[in-house]
Amino acid sequence: MASIHKHGISRWIAYSPPVAWTVRQLRELLIGALRQGPMPQHVAFVMDGNRRFARSHHIETVEGHNMGFEALARILEVCYKAGVKVVTIYAFSIENFKRSKHEVDALMELAKLKLVQLAEHGALLDRYGASIRILGNRELVKPDVIEAIDRAVSITAHNNRAILNVCFPYTSRDEITTAIKSTVEQYSTPLASLQTPSKRTFSESHITQQIRKQMLEEDTDGSSAPQESRSASPSSLKDAKSVEGGRSSSTTTAINSSDKDESHTTAPSYPDPESITAETLDEHMLTAGAPPLDLLVRTSGVDRLSDFMLWQCHENTSIVILKCLWPEFDLWQFLPVLVEWQWQKKKSQEQQKSRALSKAE
Amino acid sequence: MASTGITTREELAFRKGVVNGKQLTAQDREQMLKPFLPPPPPPPLETTSLKSPKRQILSQRTTAAPKLNLTPVRTFLHIILHVIISVLFSIFFRFRRSWRLFSYKVRGVLRHHHHTPEWIVNDVKNVEQLPKHISVVLEHRDDDEDQGNAGLEGLVQDACEIAAWTASAGIPLLSIYERTGVLKNYVPQLHAAIQKNLESYFGTRRRPTLTVKAPHTISYSPPGTPSSEPTENGASTSRPHLTVLLLSEHDGRATLVDLTVTLASMAQKSDIDPKQIDIALINAELSDYVSSEPDLLVLFGPRVQLMGYPPWQLRLTEIFHLPDNKGVNYLVFRKALGTFGKAEFRVGK
Repeated sequence: MASIHKHGISRWIAYSPPVAWTVRQLRELLIGALRQGPMPQHVAFVMDGNRRFARSHHIETVEGHNMGFEALARILEVCYKAGVKVVTIYAFSIENFKRSKHEVDALMELAKLKLVQLAEHGALLDRYGASIRILGNRELVKPDVIEAIDRAVSITAHNNRAILNVCFPYTSRDEITTAIKSTVEQYSTPLASLQTPSKRTFSESHITQQIRKQMLEEDTDGSSAPQESRSASPSSLKDAKSVEGGRSSSTTTAINSSDKDESHTTAPSYPDPESITAETLDEHMLTAGAPPLDLLVRTSGVDRLSDFMLWQCHENTSIVILKCLWPEFDLWQFLPVLVEWQWQKKKSQEQQKSRALSKAE
Repeated sequence: MASTGITTREELAFRKGVVNGKQLTAQDREQMLKPFLPPPPPPPLETTSLKSPKRQILSQRTTAAPKLNLTPVRTFLHIILHVIISVLFSIFFRFRRSWRLFSYKVRGVLRHHHHTPEWIVNDVKNVEQLPKHISVVLEHRDDDEDQGNAGLEGLVQDACEIAAWTASAGIPLLSIYERTGVLKNYVPQLHAAIQKNLESYFGTRRRPTLTVKAPHTISYSPPGTPSSEPTENGASTSRPHLTVLLLSEHDGRATLVDLTVTLASMAQKSDIDPKQIDIALINAELSDYVSSEPDLLVLFGPRVQLMGYPPWQLRLTEIFHLPDNKGVNYLVFRKALGTFGKAEFRVGK
C-alpha cells in the first residue's frame, strides 16, 4: 500500500472511521453485484512484483513481501465473498531457492508465522468454510515449516465451501513429473485382486529345452549350412539368444523355473497401461478434484507463466497480465478483470447457443 | 489506502500484531475480527422488514451484525448494480475494441513490410535480442468473417506469410500450432507453398532453405533443396535455413499421456525404475520428439487463451498478444519481437 508515503491530511481522511466505513460498504456492494453474474470457479494468481514494489518504495524486500501478503488477504476476501470456489496462489517457486539466503529464510518465516496464526483461529476459518492445501515439493521445506503446514491443513481439512491452494515450493514441471511418476508407480504395482495362484500346465523353460533339443538334433544332422543361419540374421540371432538363455538357465534349473512361474502369475495382473488417459494424469496432479482453471492473473506485466499451472491452464483458461505490482493489487484492479471475464463468458455462451441453433436448423 | 476500508488502528494491528503498544493474543485478534466476518455456516435467515437500505445498514453497523445477510433489498441493490456495471463495461469494451482495431489497421498500413525482407530487417534492427525459436498459434476457422482466410487455404496462407517474416527476421526455427493438426496432412504442399512465398520475398537466388516437419515424422526437405546443392558463387552456404515445425493438440496432453503409457509399460517389464523418472528425462524425451521450449509465443487472437498448446514447453515462454486483435497480421509479429527484445529473463529471481 502506498499509504506510507501519503500526505498527512489525505491519509487522515482516508483512515477516519466514517470514510473507512463507507469504503467498506462500497466494497461489499460491488462484491455482491459481481456475485450476480457468472463467476469463475477456479482462479489462480501469480503474486509477482513484491520486490520491485519494495525497491520503488525504498523499503526492505522482506517488508515488500509482507505487503504482498496483505494484498493476498484482501484479494482472498474478495474472491470468496464473490463466490470463487478455488483460489490457487503461486507463493514460492522451487527456482526461488536461488535467491539470497536471507530472503528465503525471511519468506519461510513469514509463511510459518502466518500458518501458525491461522491455526490459532480454527473456529473463525470455519465461517468462511475455507480449507487450505499446500501444493508442492515437501522434500525441499524445513521440518518446522512442514509442521506448521500440516497443522494448518489438518485444522481446515473439514471445510468444503472454498479451497485455498498455496503452491509452495512449486514448479509445474515438477508437478507434471511427479504426476507421471506416481501414475507409473500405480500401474507398475501388481493388482492383488487379479492375481491367479494357479500355475499353468506348460512351463516356458520346458518348451525352450524341447526346442533346443530339436535344434541340436538338426545340428547333428549337420548338412544345414552355417551360411544360411548367418544370412537370416535377425530371427536366427534371437533364436540363438533365447537358446543361450535356455542353456544358461538349464544349469540352474530349479531357481529359474520358480522365477518363470512367478512371472507367469504376476505379469497379467498389471493394470493395462493403455487405459491411462489425460484424466488419469489429471487425478495425479496436485490440483486433483478442483474445477478447471478459469482465470489466471499475473501482476507486474510479465507475459510468462514461469512454470506455473502449465498443465492446468492450457485449455480455455483466460490469462490476464496486469501492469500493477502485486502489493498494489486490490478489488479496484481485480474488478475490471472479473467484469471482462463475465462479459466474455456471456458472449461465448451466446455464440455457442447460436451455433447450436444454426446446426439444429 | 482509502480503498481498503480499514482504519489505522486495524491496519497496525494486522501488520504488527500490536494495539496501543500491546502485543495481541489470539483472543484479541478474534475480537477485532468479529465485525468483519461473514455469518456462521448455516446462515440464520433474518426476516427483517423492509426498511430503507440506509437505515438498515446503520442498524447493522451499530449492532455489528453479520454483513452478508442477503435481505431482499440488498439483493435488489446488487442486481441493479450488476446490470449497471455490465452495461457500462460492455459499452466501454466495445468502444475500446473498435478503437484498438482501428489503430491496429492504421499502424499496420503505415508500417507495412511491402514483401521486402529489408523492411523487416529494418524493423528488427533495434531489437536487442531475437528469439531462437518462435511459435505461433493459428486458428482453423470455418467462416471468413474477416479477411477471407477461412479453412485450410487460409491456414496455409497465414503459415506462408509468417514463415516469410520469420525468415526475414533471421529466426531459424518457427513452430506453428494449430489445434486440429490439419496442416500435418499436407506437409509437401505446405512446403511448396512456403517455398513459393519465400521466393516472392527474397527472389530465387537469396531464398532461404526450408525444412517442414511435424513431430514423429521424418522432416520434409525435398530433393533439390539448395542446402545440398553445389554452390555457384560460394555464397549459398551463407544462406539462412528455416525450419517449420507443425504442432497440434495431440502434441500436448496426449503426448504426455503417451509418454506415461510407455514409461508404465516399461516399468511393468522392469526396464525402468519409477525413481528414474525426473524432469530431465521427460524434458529430453519431449524436446527430442516434439519440440523444444519456444522463446516467444505469438497469439493472433483477441486474448490469451492457449487452446491446448503443449503445456510442458511453455515454461518460460514469453507470451505475446495484442488485445482485441483479430487475424494474422504483421503488426502483431513486429510488436511481439519488439517486446521480446526488451524483456529480461530472471529465472526465479
